[in-house]
Amino acid sequence: MGIYLDNAATTRVDPAVASEVERVRRSAEGNASSIHQHGVNAAKHIEKARNIIAGSINAEAEEIVFTSGGTESNNTVLKGVVSLSSNEKKHIVISAIEHPSIIETARWLEEAGISVTYVSVDRDGFVSASDVEKALTAETVLVSIMHANNETGTIEPIKDIGRACTERGVLFHADACQSYTKIPLDVKEQNVDFITLNAHKIHGPKGVGALYVRKGVKIAPLLHGGEQEATLRSGTYNTEGIAGFGKAVEIAHTDDVKKMTELRDWFSKELSENIEGVLLNGPDTQRLSNIINLRIRSVDGNRLAAELDRRAISVGRGSSCSSSKSTPSHVLLALGMDSKEAEESIRISLNKWTRKKELGIVVKNMIEIVTELRMV
Amino acid sequence: MDSCQPDEKLDLAGVPCPQNSARTLIKLEGMDSGAMLEVIIDDGEPVKNVPPSVEEEGHRVVEKVRTGDRWKILIRRREE
Ligand SMILES: Cc1ncc(COP(=O)(O)O)c(C=O)c1O
Repeated sequence: MGIYLDNAATTRVDPAVASEVERVRRSAEGNASSIHQHGVNAAKHIEKARNIIAGSINAEAEEIVFTSGGTESNNTVLKGVVSLSSNEKKHIVISAIEHPSIIETARWLEEAGISVTYVSVDRDGFVSASDVEKALTAETVLVSIMHANNETGTIEPIKDIGRACTERGVLFHADACQSYTKIPLDVKEQNVDFITLNAHKIHGPKGVGALYVRKGVKIAPLLHGGEQEATLRSGTYNTEGIAGFGKAVEIAHTDDVKKMTELRDWFSKELSENIEGVLLNGPDTQRLSNIINLRIRSVDGNRLAAELDRRAISVGRGSSCSSSKSTPSHVLLALGMDSKEAEESIRISLNKWTRKKELGIVVKNMIEIVTELRMV
Repeated sequence: MDSCQPDEKLDLAGVPCPQNSARTLIKLEGMDSGAMLEVIIDDGEPVKNVPPSVEEEGHRVVEKVRTGDRWKILIRRREE
């Protein structure tokens, strides 16, 4: 079924996760909020997953709130912190390369009178902790910087940024959708108050995520209703989805990260040796194991991706969310590229099953396509 | 026979039903046969619901002690 290299957009559900989802779907009859036996049985699936996820980031079970995914967790943090803040405290800080679920939420808040600082990044996409620190004012309530970027894979110095925030009494949120299970997260070490996680980037089901909320930190819910999740997130539990999320975290393995890193670097090397004018967007080191964002001089990224698609090879064009629009990626522009350079870029993202043989086929096809495109 | 020294403790103060029962059962499942678990739960619904759901699964509630608006429940894990 072709070669899938758009795993930063989403991943295939692991068979072990699929069986867990199916097992729970067939067996857990009750509503996980009901007090009868069937309810308790459903709640056990939720609580097992909660223990696994809490353990994976060194948090307590009570600090994990289940949501419908990264978008909801990100919206909850920004809107939930701002709505509880006092009238004088109406400033938030984010980076220029955040995911749309942060940037668009911040813009929406801006229209409602909140001031937002968009901290810029360097040519590799790094946010500097001192730039964040400089952006803090007496009015700042929240800083939100992603753990790793979804387009370039740049890993941000969240521990240092978190420290700067903690010292100034400002809440700090890290969106860790891309980095989760790939690089270590430790809420006790990394000075974070909130972390966004989701399942579908790690071979879990779509439509499931979590928000870590540090004990004692107050935040308003986005959804009101039955008061599930300590009133932070109302709505009947997605029992099978949450159980599948727990399974995906349980089976995630650091060996996979090592394997992907080797393949990632081999692939980049093969391309640079065989195609002229290949440039890496983003850093060499401090980058996620599975993301390669590259630019091929005088080759249109969209045309290259479309040609690869015709040959049943799927890659990303900028961010998955902006692939239907022809606007250049806001992330690549923030790295200092002009529109033409950004449009010469594609994103290739691996998963734990990606094989060297498949990448070899992709290299061969890319050589052919680039040669053709450069001739016309 | 029942020693009152718990092997493990679980503080579920503030945790609502049925999350408290679920977490107690998961904890018990991870313990050795016959081991003792001490759980702290709230007065009201929790103390009405947690002990029966634990016994429903074959574990034994050995002791229930009230301290203010909390309860300390001592449970012996069922033998496999
Ligand atoms: C960095 C980042 N944040 C948030 C999201 C949104 O997560 P979800 O698709 O679960 O809503 C994504 C991916 O889609 C992402 O890559």
